[in-house]
Amino acid sequence: MISVSQLSVSFGAIHALTGVSFDAANGKITAILGANGAGKTTLLRTITGLEEAASGDITLDGESLLKKRTEDIARAGVGHVPEGRGVIAEFTVLENLRLGSLAAKVNFQEGIAEQFELFPVLGERRHQHAATLSGGERQMLAMARALIAKPTVLLLDEPSLGLAPLVTAEMMATISELCAKQNLTVLLVEQNAKSALKVAHDAVVLHLGKVVASASAQEVAGDERLRQYYLGLAEQ
Amino acid sequence: MTWLSSGFMSDVFLGITNGVLYGLIALSLVIVWRSTSILNFAQGAMAMFAAYVGMTMSSHGLNFWACFAIAIAAGFALGGLTERVLVRPLYKRPEINSIVVMVGFLGLLESAAAAIWSTAPRTLESPFSQIYFQHHGSTILLSPFALFQIIAALVIMTAVGAIFRYTNLGLQLRAAALAPEVARLLGVRVNRLLTFGWMLSSAAGVVAAVVISSSGSIGLSPTIMDGFFVFGFIAAAVGGLESPLGAVVAGLMIGLVQQFLQDYAPSGISSFAPVIILVVALMIRPQGLFSTTKARRV
Amino acid sequence: MSKLTTFSDARPTTTRFIKATVATILVALIAGYVLTPSTDIYIATAAAMAVSVMGLSILTGFSGQVSIGNAGFMAIGAYTTAIWANHHEHFPIVLSLVGSMAVGALGGIALGLPATRLRGPYLAGMTLAFGYVMTPFIQSLGSWTGGSGGLYFPVLVTPTWFTSLVGESENLIGANARYQAVLSVLVAGIALFFAANLSNSRVGRAMRLVRDDDVAAELVGVNLAQTRVTAFAASAALAALGGSLLALVAGAATSSTYGVALSIELLSLLVLGGMGSISGAIIAGILAAYTDLIMTKINSLTGIDPFSNLGANMKGIIFGVVLITMMLAAPRGLVGLATTLAAKARRLRSGAN
Repeated sequence: MISVSQLSVSFGAIHALTGVSFDAANGKITAILGANGAGKTTLLRTITGLEEAASGDITLDGESLLKKRTEDIARAGVGHVPEGRGVIAEFTVLENLRLGSLAAKVNFQEGIAEQFELFPVLGERRHQHAATLSGGERQMLAMARALIAKPTVLLLDEPSLGLAPLVTAEMMATISELCAKQNLTVLLVEQNAKSALKVAHDAVVLHLGKVVASASAQEVAGDERLRQYYLGLAEQ
Repeated sequence: MTWLSSGFMSDVFLGITNGVLYGLIALSLVIVWRSTSILNFAQGAMAMFAAYVGMTMSSHGLNFWACFAIAIAAGFALGGLTERVLVRPLYKRPEINSIVVMVGFLGLLESAAAAIWSTAPRTLESPFSQIYFQHHGSTILLSPFALFQIIAALVIMTAVGAIFRYTNLGLQLRAAALAPEVARLLGVRVNRLLTFGWMLSSAAGVVAAVVISSSGSIGLSPTIMDGFFVFGFIAAAVGGLESPLGAVVAGLMIGLVQQFLQDYAPSGISSFAPVIILVVALMIRPQGLFSTTKARRV
Repeated sequence: MSKLTTFSDARPTTTRFIKATVATILVALIAGYVLTPSTDIYIATAAAMAVSVMGLSILTGFSGQVSIGNAGFMAIGAYTTAIWANHHEHFPIVLSLVGSMAVGALGGIALGLPATRLRGPYLAGMTLAFGYVMTPFIQSLGSWTGGSGGLYFPVLVTPTWFTSLVGESENLIGANARYQAVLSVLVAGIALFFAANLSNSRVGRAMRLVRDDDVAAELVGVNLAQTRVTAFAASAALAALGGSLLALVAGAATSSTYGVALSIELLSLLVLGGMGSISGAIIAGILAAYTDLIMTKINSLTGIDPFSNLGANMKGIIFGVVLITMMLAAPRGLVGLATTLAAKARRLRSGAN
């Protein structure tokens, strides 16, 4: 379980996160929702040590992550698909995947076989440079590269960004399937609240760095005030 | 007289013999530039220093190859130490700070070497003869030593290229250079790799310095690498600081251009050759001849 | 961390600067009376080096372009003066200095033009290449420059009006040394005045703007190329002037003096004094003049034989260590360090009250 308690992060005078607390249950998808600038990306980046917390704590199964380095957090089983996907454009699909597998010391051949089964299109394009892939394919590659290391927690930063609605739906279905099959704990940051709430079990709504709601996805989806003011969703 | 001993071919041989050294130094500059965006002005001096360490061992009765190996090991150590102590505090500082610190390190190493080993040139005995080959009674400006020099440089260049292209370590090194944050998110220990990159770069440069110190016509002295560094830097700049292959090719080209200028141009111009080559090349393509921002691969 | 923290912005008002110049000259004159002829040589050297460091300061401190080849411009000045002196026995000294500056400025423009297309380390590398080739280049022009042996010329003759002004010195050498000291300090004062004015001028502000953010500078209408070339020209002119003054002190121009090592020394002195600062350049000049004396002291204190390898290279070692530690710990130089410490002390005191 990922547990965030009273977390504050600031950049100089700007308070990106203030007193954020929530728990993300094991084997479930927790959606982190909110408008641009709500602090969603900062939250994920602080979990993997890319930003420094001013106060508060983040624990993974009871162990604090705050004092750990990014690479050690990754090695502890936290996969992070960053904003913009972070696919290395100069590398081929296979090289990107190999890079993902190295630190985890998993069997690379078995790993790519699994990933190519999950994302067949990557298998077809295995020798292509990532620069030549479409947006959806890049997102798949980024996820496959994180999954090949067999993480227990997966942080996804706006996987739907720039994707066609149909591709987004497919992506969300895959995330849901993964979570169920591999007992993966997923933190899903999304601006696209509608698609995220369809697959999420729980949801946390951030507004200007503060938690305005933390409940089951169903409750959040059903709350008219949240839908209107924070999620930008029309009335049901 | 055969064509191999013609004036033209003589210049080609001498140009290549020097050019491989420029290429090696340029390659070693490119390795650290790509991963840390720092131009190592002390690169030549570091190689010189490590070569001296190796040479000291020859007075303890060790043979050429053992000294060579010790010099390379010293190069690895010096590179790693430099990255950890001097370079690491510079990553988040303005560029000007890193330039000044590396220049300071250059001055420090040269003075320290002069203090320890004096400024008098010394030669490391190599097992290769430096007498030029004879062919049908005419001289070809190539010696067994020159062949060793060319082959040693090419072997190191190929080895460095192979490490970057074909090994997991190389994959991680490239990732750390291209996208350090992403690499760390994938569990790559970027800090260690940066140190390793400096070690590798330093050791590659040492090969050039050892070859120079075994060359009877030059020998090793504290400031001997200044000139080689200037030409190596020019090769790296002309080839594009991002491109290892460009650095090597440009090194060879500059060796040849320098040799031909020396033979055919008035001495005033040929001594100014490094600046002229650099200016002309950068006028044509300011970003370097082999580097495009789109396709920067090893 | 802001880019700006690396530099100290010296913007003295003109009146403050005139006071400083007058003070410098007075100090030099009084010191010249009190001290021996050998001190005069130190004063002349300090003035020459202050001008040279100021030259580098314009390029690196004002406009943010690091040069590892400014000794090359000093060589241009030294040889221009030496060649002129050999061809015109009774040359007007001022003309000779102005001529050196002009030739130096031309060299600066020649190097500065291609440099406008380069940035950061590429640019520094190019200046290194320039500095490195100057020695062999000068030596290759043997018929003009005397080759590797250097070019000697008749010692600067003290005018009779000066001798009568300062009172008859016991010997000619003493009078000559005094004349050189006063001349050098005067010339340095004028040169530093020029540098301070440049710093305050529109051009100087443009240079700092380019240094801090070239994109923003271009947006507000600064001509990047022109500003950079101007910095090169001014820097080279002052370096050449410094080289000329040094050559006058030595009575010779020797190409090996103006190698890469001197360029590194200039950079060390600049960092020690503080980039872009007039007072920093003066401190750097005095330090440079007394370096050898200080080294002798260090050697005698530590018991190191000055003629041993270690003793002979102590200077380079110390300069290297100083350059590295200053840049890592106190990038604004001694003046900056003193200012920071003084500010801290003031804060402490006001905190205690």
